Order: sequence, then structure tokens, then C-alpha cells
Amino acid sequence: MSSFFGKMLVVDLTRGIIEDKILPREWVDLYTGQKGLGSRILMEDFDVDIDPLSPENKIVLTPGIMTGTIVSCSAKLSMTTKSPQTGTISDGSVGGHIGAELKYAGYDAVMISGKAAELSYLHIDPDNKEIIAIPEFKGLGTFDTEDDLKKLRGDDKLKVLAIGPAGENLIPFSCVSSERYRQLGRGGMGAVMGSKNLKAISIRGWLDVAVADIRKCMDISMAAHIKDAVIDPENEIFTHGTSILVDYSQESGLLPTENFSKGRFPEYKNINGESFKAVRLNKKACFSCGIACGNYVKDGKAVVEGPEYETIALCGSSIGVGNRADIIRMNAVCDDLGIDTISAGGTIAFMMEATEKGIHDFGIRFGDADKALQYMDDLSHLRGIGKEASRGSKGLAEIYGGDHFAINVKGMELPGYDPRGSWGMGIAYASAPRGGCHMSAYPIAEEAWGTVDPFTFDGKGKLVADMQNSQFAKFSMGVCDFWPIEDKTIGELYEVTVGGEWSAEKVYLTGERIFNLQRMFNVMVGFERREDTLPGRFHKEILKEGPPKDHLMTKTAFDKAMTEYYTYRGWDEKGRPTIEKLRSLGIEEKLIEAYAEKVKLNGIPTMNKTYAEIIK
Amino acid sequence: MPLKFKLSNCTGCKLCQLACSAVHDQVFNPEKARLKMIHEYNSKGIKIRSSYCTHCGQCEEVCPEEAIKSNGRWMEVDHDLCVGCELCVSACPKKIIYMDSNEKSIICDLCNGDPECIKWCPKDVITLRGKGASK
Repeated sequence: MSSFFGKMLVVDLTRGIIEDKILPREWVDLYTGQKGLGSRILMEDFDVDIDPLSPENKIVLTPGIMTGTIVSCSAKLSMTTKSPQTGTISDGSVGGHIGAELKYAGYDAVMISGKAAELSYLHIDPDNKEIIAIPEFKGLGTFDTEDDLKKLRGDDKLKVLAIGPAGENLIPFSCVSSERYRQLGRGGMGAVMGSKNLKAISIRGWLDVAVADIRKCMDISMAAHIKDAVIDPENEIFTHGTSILVDYSQESGLLPTENFSKGRFPEYKNINGESFKAVRLNKKACFSCGIACGNYVKDGKAVVEGPEYETIALCGSSIGVGNRADIIRMNAVCDDLGIDTISAGGTIAFMMEATEKGIHDFGIRFGDADKALQYMDDLSHLRGIGKEASRGSKGLAEIYGGDHFAINVKGMELPGYDPRGSWGMGIAYASAPRGGCHMSAYPIAEEAWGTVDPFTFDGKGKLVADMQNSQFAKFSMGVCDFWPIEDKTIGELYEVTVGGEWSAEKVYLTGERIFNLQRMFNVMVGFERREDTLPGRFHKEILKEGPPKDHLMTKTAFDKAMTEYYTYRGWDEKGRPTIEKLRSLGIEEKLIEAYAEKVKLNGIPTMNKTYAEIIK
Repeated sequence: MPLKFKLSNCTGCKLCQLACSAVHDQVFNPEKARLKMIHEYNSKGIKIRSSYCTHCGQCEEVCPEEAIKSNGRWMEVDHDLCVGCELCVSACPKKIIYMDSNEKSIICDLCNGDPECIKWCPKDVITLRGKGASK
């Protein structure tokens, strides 16, 4: 018995073909589920040079392989594709109940390619798989799309992934929403669905999920939930949710304020965890989650599940907005339009600063929440000034200048942590496979909120790489970020659900393998060291308040740190994995050959110095 | 002695349903649980309803084969007598009785007095009526 079914649904929207395919057990043994399995499925016979918005791009859905079991925090669903925002491989994960629904429908994965002739949705349940045209849904927000699909199919229990007008209009930072307020937020997944005329995916399931050893699964899960405080009523992620981080970031002087020009926001108490807790209606958990980080809040007429910390930082302090109700409104509007709150806030913050500095008048200044809301709507509909805003901060800087304060990495706007307050985070941002992302590693916990010096790069290349490897294992084997689980415990849970033998070392190695797999994809596209950079602001300007003051994070020091990082990873000077490294990780020879073939024009990656020599 | 729910604490995680299907059917499947937590979304957020056996006895009354009997604490179903007529399913005011794949009636047995759902609820939503929290 295993919670892995070995079954993938393959959908060709162009030809209208839907069929079951066998998923090789070898892929799960090497890359597990979610992020890892999604990346591997995407890379099978995939031309990395294709336009992300062409029918040839693929969308891969992969729940965790423990999803549907009683293991807490295990109900995530990943989407993996080539991103229209960054051009890199990109994967995101959404919580809620839809991942479990896909497992109960009998699938470990869904792969979608092609383009439907007209706006359509894909329905999946154990008895029916169908592509159905819904031209009447054109322009609908994600909330109505979900509600109307439930009515259309007469099934309240349906779980839905939906895009809004932003996805239909191919906005590069459009997202995919589920259960209204849960998002595959980053990298423009909504636009990839939009380019395929795929308005929504609805899922229902009622099949069993069996595991390798159900008694041990129950015992180990229960013990781990207690040991790791997953069900502790004092867990801050339960008591407040991620909004608790506003106070932490303010204290550490790294709360993005006015487009990362400052690290402290005078009005932070209006928008911190306590403030949102005061207007909470109720708590909500994802499927099988003992923590329950979700919060429904209501301020005036504004209602949302959230706002999460990143939204508060990017649609609050970073655009100079210290009003709780405004942030709730922006959050709900973005979720309904189907745009990423981080990139939307980041782009608007750039427009505000450019206007304030006189570089270009975008007609919006810091603190103008009403106009920000209007711009979010405009950009999602490609209307007026919104056509400009839809380019994102990088696109705007290319036209109007101000590149050093276009706060993005590889075209993806940065989330809510100024790296000058936690230098390791700078390496994490620069090296994350999907661009400016806080999920590949979170050294802030060790630096700004821990005992490691935040204002040095010494040892940070290793720190970040180690964290990334563990995170990639965690997000592939399928546990949410909010469970601070050890590699050893994940391995134990995997043994009793999926089966096999999973030591802590094997878990870590699996994460490293998956990280390298995604890097291979990006190197084949043409990404290397020259793209692993941070916005110029971070190397030229010093934050004036709190712990980061007086510390300049120079470009020279950063470059040296990146060399240390690459070398520790077994990559060459340009940040390209060596063939030897990929072989040592057990990545399949077929993929390594394709990689070697693709990069050989630039010389096969080799290392000149060892890690020990570099850190001397 | 039916279950009792403090719904204001419920976060809708369905660990109770997973635990129920695991101990009775040795699989994870919330559809097979003997209790159900039902999510309803509205403009104010989420509302959660519970559906569970209240030990009302209506199934016992309608069963033509006398397969369902109360033992004073929960309903016992004799699967050797059950003919799968589904009258109990129709009679159940909570709509929580269902027929398994062998066409036999499935009703909450309170795990013989020690409900697994109570052990797994992370927010102390479920207790046994008249017994207080058993955690």
C-alpha cells in the first residue's frame, strides 16, 4: 500500500484529449511530490525555449504525496510551469482543500498543454473528466467564477482553481485563486491558464487514500503534531497568523516602507497582528492542518481571508498605506481580479516613487490607497494607465529609468523583507529559481530573529544553500512552511505513507537534487550569474533606522558571497551546475545529457576552485 | 451519549473525518466518516456546520430487519441482518447514515465509547455529551 497511486491525468486542450497515464515510480523516488515531481514532469520532452504563453507551455498540478492523509499541513497543491513573468521555471503552491480533492479524485498529477478553442474549464472527478466551453464566464472575477461553477455543476463541494480578468488578459503577475482567498500567487500562473483559454479547473473526489502503514502513520503523526507544537494553542501562526511578522520586521528595521526606501513604518501598529486580530471574524484551516493560520477579517464593509504578512507589507507599508480597511480591500480586490498582491503592490510602489522623484509622472503618490485600488483594477483590464502598470516594475524601469529602485529579481517583485536587514536573504532572493521569492530559504529566522549576525555575508552562502535544500525537500515531500519540521520527521512520515526508506540524509539530498533540477532548467533557458542580482538600491543606500543602520551591503561583498554560494553548491563561476555535481545527485542521465547539449556552446561548466579554497 | 460540538472553535480541517475513516476503514477518506463538518462560504467568511449521529433512534424505528439497535450509548448495526434497504438513510434527520460498498448501513459507533475524532481535533471542538472534554 502507498499513498502514491502512480497515476497522472494528461490533458491536451487543443485536441480535446484527456487520458490517464502511468507515472513512473522512479520519478517519485527521486523527486517525491509537489514541487519536485511537478518540475520533473514539466521537464519531460520539454523545449525550455518556448514562449511561456504559447500552447506548448505546460501546466503541471501535483499535490503532495502525503496529501489526503492525516499528516498535518500536508494538503498543498503545486502548479509548475514556465513563467511569463521571469522566463524561469516557476512553481507555486496553494493550500485550502483542493489538493486533497485531487488525491481523492485518484490522481498524483495533472499535466495540461495546448489551447482550448474558446474560454473553457476542465472538470476532474473519479467518473468524469471533461473540457467544457464557458464563454459566458469571460471577464468574471475569481469569486463569481467559483460560485457560478458550483451552481453550473450543482455541486457545493466542488473545489476550484480560477483566474480572473487579469489572467485572461495575460498580465505577467496574474495569479490563480482557490476558495476565494487562497492563491497560486507568484510568477504569472494566471496568465499561463489564460493563454490556454482555461478559465478554471474544478475538482471533486471521493476515492480512498491508503498508506504504507496506517497504524504507524497515526502514531507518528500524532506524536509529531504534539512535539512540533503544530496543535499548540499558543502557536503564533494560530493566534495571529502571518500578520504577527509586522512587529518582528518593524523591530528588525526590515519592513519594506515606501518602496524599500526605509525599513520602518511609523504607522505599523495600525496594520500589525494585533490590529487585524481585533477585527477577526473566525479562523480557518487548510485540509488536515492542525495549526489553522487562516483568518477571516472584516473592517467596515471590507472582508477577506487574510491579509497575509506579504500583502500587508507590499500593499501597506511599502506603498505608504497604514489603514487596515484599505489593505483588506486591496487584498480582496487583488484576489478577485486574480493578481499577485506582492507584485501588484511592488509595481505600484515603483510608480509612486518614480512620480515622487520626478522621473516619470504616473499620477500616484505614496499613501494614496484609493488610487492604488483603481490601478489594480485598471492593470487587470489593460485600461488607461493600467496598460503601463501591467508591465511590472522591471518593465516600467526599462522604459522610464529608475532601475535601481525597481525592486525585483528576474522580473519578480520582492516580498516583505528588506535584505539589508538580513543579508542572507539577499543571497536567497538572488538565487531562488523562480525570481524574487522568500520561499526558497528564510535565513531571516536565523539572522534578524535569531543569533546569526545579519550584517555579514560570512558563511551565508552555505547557510542559504543548506536551507534551500531542506525547504525544497519539505515543499516537494509536501509539508507547509508553517510546520517547522525536521528532515528526520518528514522522512519518518514518508516511510509510513508513501513507503520506502527515508533517512534525514536522503530527505536533504532529495531537496538538493530538486533545487539543482530547477537550476538546470534555468541555465538551459540562459540564466546564470549575471541574472542572480539584487536591485541597485540595496548596494548603494543605507537604511537609516533600527539594527541595519550604518551597514552598507556592498556589491563587492555580495558578489563574493555569490561565488561562495556557487562553489558550495558545486556550480561553476557562472552559477551553472557541473555535470559531476548533477551525476553525484543522481539526476537521470537523460536530463543531464540534454543539459550538457544545451549549455555546451558556452563551455561545459567546470569548477576551478573548491569550496574550502574559496572560504579561506 | 452523542458527540457535542463547539462549532465556534472549528477551523474546518477535517482531521476528525480523517481519523474516523482511518480507524473504521483503514483508509483516509472524509466521505466515509461517520461525522461530517460542512463548509459554507458566504460574504462574511466561512460557516461550518456539523452533521453527526444524535442517537435519536429514528433509524432503529424504521429498520424492518431489526438490524439497528441502541445499546443506550450508541446505535449498533448488525451487518448480518442488514439487507441494504436504505430506509435508515432516508430516515436520518442528520443525513449522516450511508451505505458502504457492501450495501450495509454505516452509523457512528462512538469508537466503542472512545471516539477517535475527539483525540484528533486540534481545537477541542468535539466532546462527549455529559462527559466534558475527554482530552
